[in-house]
Amino acid sequence: MAIFELPGWTALAPAVLLAATALALFVIDSISPTTTNRGLLAGTATAGSLAALGVAVWFVLAGVGTPTIDGGRGVIDVLDNQFVVDQLALFFMIVITVVTALVTVASYDYMEDHAYQAEYYSLVLLAATGMATMAAANSLVTIFIALELSSLPSYALVAILKDNRGSVEGGLKYFLIGALSSAIFLYGISLVYGATGHLQLETIADVIGNGDANDYGGLLGLGILMLIGGFAYKTASVPFHFWAPEAYEGAPAPISAFLSSASKAAGFVIAFRVFTEAFPVAQTASVIGVDWTVAFIVLAVVTMTLGNFAAATQENVKRMLAYSSIGHAGYALIGLAGISADGGALVMGAAMMHLLVYGFMNTGAFLFVALAEYWGVGRTFEDYNGLARQAPVACFALGICLFSLAGIPPLGGFWSKYFLYTSALDAGLLVVAVALVVNSALSLYYYSRLIKAVWIEDPIAERDSLSQPIGLYAALVVAAVMTVALLPMFGPVADTAVNAATAVLT
Amino acid sequence: MAVEVQYYVLLSMALFSIGLFGILTRRNALLFLMSVELMLNAANINLIAFAFYHGNLTGQVFALFTMALAAAEVAIGLGILLVLYRNFRDVDVTVPTTMRW
Repeated sequence: MAIFELPGWTALAPAVLLAATALALFVIDSISPTTTNRGLLAGTATAGSLAALGVAVWFVLAGVGTPTIDGGRGVIDVLDNQFVVDQLALFFMIVITVVTALVTVASYDYMEDHAYQAEYYSLVLLAATGMATMAAANSLVTIFIALELSSLPSYALVAILKDNRGSVEGGLKYFLIGALSSAIFLYGISLVYGATGHLQLETIADVIGNGDANDYGGLLGLGILMLIGGFAYKTASVPFHFWAPEAYEGAPAPISAFLSSASKAAGFVIAFRVFTEAFPVAQTASVIGVDWTVAFIVLAVVTMTLGNFAAATQENVKRMLAYSSIGHAGYALIGLAGISADGGALVMGAAMMHLLVYGFMNTGAFLFVALAEYWGVGRTFEDYNGLARQAPVACFALGICLFSLAGIPPLGGFWSKYFLYTSALDAGLLVVAVALVVNSALSLYYYSRLIKAVWIEDPIAERDSLSQPIGLYAALVVAAVMTVALLPMFGPVADTAVNAATAVLT
Repeated sequence: MAVEVQYYVLLSMALFSIGLFGILTRRNALLFLMSVELMLNAANINLIAFAFYHGNLTGQVFALFTMALAAAEVAIGLGILLVLYRNFRDVDVTVPTTMRW
């Protein structure tokens, strides 16, 4: 027993630190609005996200969320159970803060000539606050507010290059589909509230469990369907994936990395929490007459197939990565598809592991695109030809990230996919497991196409020597190193993920 | 005599459908924003009617939060529409087609 106990709300420290950093950035900017100190702003943003990361890791090591029987401190609930800080929340807070730190470091160079530096970093940190809050939100109210807190800054971030037509167009499409899907999500919440009379996740499960909602099966079923729509938007999976290619292609590349890694992870954490805590499979199926995991099985297969096939036909590198990101959302959806079976915790833990590894490898791949845009080499595969002769370090890091995305052993991406594959087979999802293997094989084609362009092909035109921007290089190398460095830690981290999944499933 | 709850749900579903129809058919981004607003308010009607029906205040309080969020969303949306107009000289959502799959 500790000598003194911190007040309960401090359990949300990672999110609070991110919000405080965002406000601190505004203060720094308002002290001297006419001058911009890029280093100070990027440094503050990075320091803030690293501090949040440190606190989240410290919480995990100190046993927050671990059951008290195992010597931990148990789950901490905040504000009358509107937020919970458990292993699931901390795991995703770590993913989100890591990606935020990488993105802010990379933005130091990428946003060099941009006029609104402080606003840019503040918006990134505010979006990260929303995502960290999503990880801990435990009621449909807090989930919706956190979702909007992460979405609204993201719209502005995608469209932040105000004179760039692609950026504005991407921002517009992201905003339009985001607004539509948040309206659908909210209507779904209102229907679930109508059927159960509650918005807090455990009490919804109680009402469904004790049969009070039996007369409202249709209302509840429609509500759940609309909630799935909201999650599909946030995770960029079918049927609300249309924004992803445009928004990722148009946005500044570090923001594409941020949205496709952190925002996707945040979408998955609310999906995991809502569907495991509020709608237990068996009881919900007896009320609405349908097993909701069927919806996720279909979505997972369709999403991964559509994402990978569309990625294989792209000529534009950033767009290829955008579609591959849709494909990876399909892999992670397996985590929800397999929950009903006995091995549910394993499948969900595997999906969490995949999202963690994906946070590094996908951020690394997008940061290489950021580097290429910084150099101004062009956008298509041909434009990337022969880059390795001039920038071998960056291209080696890109190679690691891409092979990991494709799932080549022994890199991190292989182990998380292998873990997903075996646990999906254990859960009896043969079709999904087969789709995973087929799609991974297909993805090797387009990833290796980029590696071939960079390492083997001759440049189509002579280039001037390429500069080595220190921030972008550092972030890219760290992302690649972490993809490899996760290997020795893979076992313990996977245990943490499975424990977290077990905790919310029971 | 109070109105039965199902009429409120019918009203909100009608509003929601009108909003959805507007989004699917209109090309002007401003009308798009108004349609989204209709859909959000349809959900608000539901929340308030159900709060009355269930006899707790959760839904009503949430409806207040929703209105604030809807206002914030429109503010961001209008900002994006302004830069859209500056770049494309139009707020027709079918005009920006620099990226196609």
